[in-house]
Amino acid sequence: MQKKLPFICPSCSATLQVQSLACTSCDTVVSGTFSLPVLSRLSDDEQLFILDFVKSSGSLKLMAEKLKLSYPSVRNRLDDIITQLNTLQTPEKK
Amino acid sequence: MKNTLFNPFLRIAGTKALLIGLTLLLCSSVIAYYSRCHFDGAIDAHIGAITPMWFYPTESLIDWAILLLSFYTAGLICSTSNIRFIDIAGTIALARWPMIFVALLAFAPIPQPQDIHNISPSIIVLGFGILIFTIWMITLMYNAYSISCNIKGNKAIVSFIAAIVFAEIISKLIIIQIARHIHLNA
Repeated sequence: MQKKLPFICPSCSATLQVQSLACTSCDTVVSGTFSLPVLSRLSDDEQLFILDFVKSSGSLKLMAEKLKLSYPSVRNRLDDIITQLNTLQTPEKK
Repeated sequence: MKNTLFNPFLRIAGTKALLIGLTLLLCSSVIAYYSRCHFDGAIDAHIGAITPMWFYPTESLIDWAILLLSFYTAGLICSTSNIRFIDIAGTIALARWPMIFVALLAFAPIPQPQDIHNISPSIIVLGFGILIFTIWMITLMYNAYSISCNIKGNKAIVSFIAAIVFAEIISKLIIIQIARHIHLNA
């Protein structure tokens, strides 16, 4: 089963922070408070879309051909992700 | 299947949709000429009047062009996305394809009603058939507008209704003026 990275606190709904990172090779543990990158807070589908978009050199036409969707459908998906990224970034600015 | 019938624009838009849409629009005009069906408004269809052949595609092209300008203007006002004129032109042209069935329905031999109290059941069936295909066309137009302009929810519904009512009035006025001109010259 593929684990999903949680980024919202199940108790108070605040944004979760990373507190420790571990090396599985030598068992070194780094502790601290680190923010999760904004992109990691998107869903798997949205992250995959962004990866495909970058690999297509940012061409919506190429993306539309790959996904067998129309140009406006792909552009709308991208616009929705941009809106979501802006929403996710807003609390960080405060 | 549902998307193919009501929202093909998820997969087709732009130039491809425009070419298919205009071809089907021409086909519906040719059928309409033989069945004497007039698309004398953006969401209108009437049967009966005899006009020159060129008038049929002209009506359809006026309907399409006015709808296109109306939806494009609504999109520029309401959408935050970078909308493309070609997407609206293509999807709106393709959205009018159910009018082929309306033109075909007009072949049905229907007697002209003498008065309002003496309407035959066949006229009611024909009217119902035309209504169904018109509703299908309006649904396609809404999806075409929503996808091409990236507008959803209440904003999409309100702006769509305003744009289609505006297009209906303007296209009707233009077509009436052309029809009058034909009759004056006849």
